[in-house]
Amino acid sequence: MLEVKNLNVFYGNVQVLWDVCLRVEEGEIVALVGANGAGKTTLLNAITGLVKPASGSVTFMGQDITGLPPNAVVELGISYFPEGGRLFPDMSILENLEMGAFIKSSWKKRKERLEKVYQIFPLLKERRKQMAKTLSGGERQMLAMGRVLMSDPKLGLFDELSYGMAPKLVKESFKMLQKLRDNGLTILLNEQNVKQSLEIADRAYVLENGRIVSGGSCEELLHSDHVRKAYLGL
Amino acid sequence: MISFINILVNGLLMGGIYAITAVGLSMQYGVARILNIAHGEFIMVAAFLTWMLHTTLGINPILCLAIVGPILFVLGYLVRHYLFKTLKEKTPSPAAFEGNSMLMAFGLLFVIQSLATYIWGKNIVGYDFMRYSVYLGEIRFAANRLVIMITAVIICFLFYLFLTKTRTGKAIRASSQDPDAAALMGVDINRMLTLCFALGALMAGFAGVLLSMEYKLDTFMGMGHTIIAIIVMVLGGLGSIPGSLVGGFILGIFYGIVSGIEPGLTEAAYYLLFMLLLLFKPSGLFGR
Repeated sequence: MLEVKNLNVFYGNVQVLWDVCLRVEEGEIVALVGANGAGKTTLLNAITGLVKPASGSVTFMGQDITGLPPNAVVELGISYFPEGGRLFPDMSILENLEMGAFIKSSWKKRKERLEKVYQIFPLLKERRKQMAKTLSGGERQMLAMGRVLMSDPKLGLFDELSYGMAPKLVKESFKMLQKLRDNGLTILLNEQNVKQSLEIADRAYVLENGRIVSGGSCEELLHSDHVRKAYLGL
Repeated sequence: MISFINILVNGLLMGGIYAITAVGLSMQYGVARILNIAHGEFIMVAAFLTWMLHTTLGINPILCLAIVGPILFVLGYLVRHYLFKTLKEKTPSPAAFEGNSMLMAFGLLFVIQSLATYIWGKNIVGYDFMRYSVYLGEIRFAANRLVIMITAVIICFLFYLFLTKTRTGKAIRASSQDPDAAALMGVDINRMLTLCFALGALMAGFAGVLLSMEYKLDTFMGMGHTIIAIIVMVLGGLGSIPGSLVGGFILGIFYGIVSGIEPGLTEAAYYLLFMLLLLFKPSGLFGR
């Protein structure tokens, strides 16, 4: 479904991604793990068009999307969950969800999409008039995930889903993520929380200093010496 | 009782104009990140255009809203597209852009002011529009003031509906709260910034038309309106659009009260209020 080939990205003169290759198949949860500053967010930004790659290609469902602007990428069916959720604080739950359906093709169908999201997260329907800034951490997470679904995406990119969250909430968030996959969303997940993400993902890539150093099934990675030493502290 | 109602009507009259002016500035500052010091000059141009259209072609000033408003919208569009957008592309950081764009707006202020003085001269001008009284029950109102007040309230109400009920309006609010997140939703931010600047100029246009129905005009009138808009913006919370709407009416009522007691002290009272706000409630009524 998504294929990244030999991607190179620079910030000014500094190269942050080196020949990155990555594949996501339909229906998978693929985790991209690595330390802070390894280039995970940059990789997602290059896929969504927030950052222009110097060379390499990004293909989505057979179409070359390298260098397309974010609004065009959303239009094609890729939805992005930014680090921290990035809700619109002074807008209601309903309005935040509506913004998720901003692109023209989704806006017409926003009522149906709302029903779908409310079905998955009934709490959002109950509180739909409430301002986003007054929500609790768990509710915010729910809303940000619901917003991702509003554009009826095929692929969801999640940047640091568990960042800055209490352990209980991290667990809940990963459960919500599985719920989204069960509802037909393919997922590429960026995580510092290596153990938890390897537990729910099908496959994973390890990114270090801008290079993919290993990849494979999560089962394999959980048993690899390097991953155990570097990320699991075993 | 009657004097209380007079204060209220006076307050709503000024409040409506203040609200429109400040919402315009808020659109430009809160979303496009341009503190448009030349905002008042846009108001002045709109007021003079109305005066010209009315005195030379006999066009009804209320109708001028539909003519001058769009002219100012286009002017705002061009200014953002050719001046501020280019400036933004040449400025390395958003913080530097806020400073540079204010300096650019200063330049714009003097260019517009000088051109206007060159075209329209230094004299004070004006026209008479509905200068008669109407009675609602026992209470006497100046007809033009009543028209200005009602029109201003309608404009504010329509603009509020636009921001809260339409797709574009929601995108504007989202962009003012988190532009990057809005871009991720598929909002074309650059287009949105130009639209917001142009809408700010449209509001200046409406304010100018309304002002000309009651007050005398000169080409140096702009600065006072810019400053009042800044005070209202601080009162409502920097960049908050609902804050500017509500703040405008609050300052208007404040004006009504102060001018009811001692008209000579209104300006002093404004600046005192402004300074107290900065000291005790710098985030404003709706500030984050």
